[in-house]
Amino acid sequence: MNNRYDRTLKIIMYTFLGICAFVALYPIVFAVMTSVKTPEEYVTNKLGFPSKLTLDNYSYVWKNGNMLKYFMNTLLVIPAGLVFYLFICVSAGFAFGRLRFPGRLPLFLSVLFLMIFPQMLLSMQIFQICRSLKLVNNYFGLILVWVAYFSPFGTYIMTTYYSTVPMSLVESARLDGAKLYQMLFRIMVPIAQPMIIVITIIGTQSMWNELPFSMLLLQNADMRTITHSLGMLKGQYGLKDPILMAAILCAASVPIVLFLFFQKQITMGSYSGAVKG
Amino acid sequence: MKRKLSKKNTELFEPYMLITPLLILLAVFILYPVIANIVMSFFKWNGIKKPEFIGLENYAEMFKDEKFWGSIKNTGILLLYIPLGVILPLVVSAVLREGLKGWPFFRAALYLPNILGYVIMGSICNIVFRKTGPLNNILNALGLQNLAKDWLMSPSLAINSLGFVYGVWLRLGFGCIFFLAAMSSIDESLYDAAKIDGAKWWKTFFNVTLPSIRFSIEFWVVLSFIEVLARAFSFIYTFTNGGPGFATFTLEYGIYTSGFVAFKMGYASAWASVLFVFCAIIAVFQVKLMKREAE
Repeated sequence: MNNRYDRTLKIIMYTFLGICAFVALYPIVFAVMTSVKTPEEYVTNKLGFPSKLTLDNYSYVWKNGNMLKYFMNTLLVIPAGLVFYLFICVSAGFAFGRLRFPGRLPLFLSVLFLMIFPQMLLSMQIFQICRSLKLVNNYFGLILVWVAYFSPFGTYIMTTYYSTVPMSLVESARLDGAKLYQMLFRIMVPIAQPMIIVITIIGTQSMWNELPFSMLLLQNADMRTITHSLGMLKGQYGLKDPILMAAILCAASVPIVLFLFFQKQITMGSYSGAVKG
Repeated sequence: MKRKLSKKNTELFEPYMLITPLLILLAVFILYPVIANIVMSFFKWNGIKKPEFIGLENYAEMFKDEKFWGSIKNTGILLLYIPLGVILPLVVSAVLREGLKGWPFFRAALYLPNILGYVIMGSICNIVFRKTGPLNNILNALGLQNLAKDWLMSPSLAINSLGFVYGVWLRLGFGCIFFLAAMSSIDESLYDAAKIDGAKWWKTFFNVTLPSIRFSIEFWVVLSFIEVLARAFSFIYTFTNGGPGFATFTLEYGIYTSGFVAFKMGYASAWASVLFVFCAIIAVFQVKLMKREAE
């Protein structure tokens, strides 16, 4: 009796998971299959496997669609943004998490409070600020805005991490006479390495997928990032689906590679909101 | 003695040195915009000319604007999908927790859409949901012609597709990882005890799993409100573009079109102030929860 219940339960569970996984993966599988079909075949054979593989769609978006340029733009602006983002998250996270100072809690709570506001709410004023500082069509402006918008969450993760580091470590570093930034870079950065990898991935993902700010601040079409160019592509009607899918997958390449190599860290990053039951 | 004192002094300033870069950025790019936005909602302003004070006129115009009430209604419909967006990941992660063979594969598969992000998934879903897209092709192939619809061209289908895709399906993977993390901290002996009592799966789910992760569920609900109210722009922009007509128009979308398409920035600021009020309420809940966890 009990055995049968267990077996039925198992069958139900596998079916349920199978359906969920199919629904989650199918659109992506469909995108991959479509991107290697010729536009002619796509019209007659929408769902099936391609009868002949073609990479023409990719070479089209790569050459005619300027994807290479956008890819290089992204590879320039995101690493630069990350350096800045990491510096801010690690130093503020260390201060909030491990040091004690007047005003710590109210300041930390204000940082958390400011995390929620949507990009569109801020966009008009940010645009005005950047215009008066000559930061429109300037990667430095976009980086500043990105870091301001994304670092509160990174700071939150680093803060929860550093609050678990024993105080004695800070004190012994002090006794050694280490200066502030020496202590930060020689002791606090190395011990937090796993968490720094986590926030690096979160930061890369956030910046890679960001649309509203880049749309407003990079008005020069040559400066677009890859995701931004994708957001603009759908406006060009008459672009065939297989070509569109090839462009989408070019933009998806880096997130997918990140996922394949850093699954553990990405999972850990999502944990950080939920460590307590 | 004197040297020691000055050292103590620098130690006192150090924390502030470390947080200053963050605070400056937040003050300039978040706090100032939020406040200035409320101020500008009382002005007539196109973003270029000098703003002109007009009192509450922007608000009067907004409350007469059908698009405004439409966007409130649409947001309401999207919020209705939150319960399903909480229950489904809870059930799936409780199933994954059982540790069936191959469960990491299922977890990874569910999480993949989250990695790709809203712009990429919105662009793919836009093609999938078209009249000639694969969704209808599949329904036809299964003999369910009646269910094949023009999803993105009918107002009620479009907003409900958005609610389901954005509110439930797209966030399922993240929800699973989130709840799995919470469930990993549940004392295994509780499950053993339930097993000895001969409790059925559903009973254990309701009596052991859910009560043990109450905090995480509350947190997830708050996160869901944030996602719907404050993070949906990129997905809507690529999935439905606010259409058909204004059927998937939200407050964020209204700010975008009045501010950056029609260049009525004062008017858009009034919309943004309404959004600000909603966000501030949710933020209070969120900070309370995070404070509880940080302590």
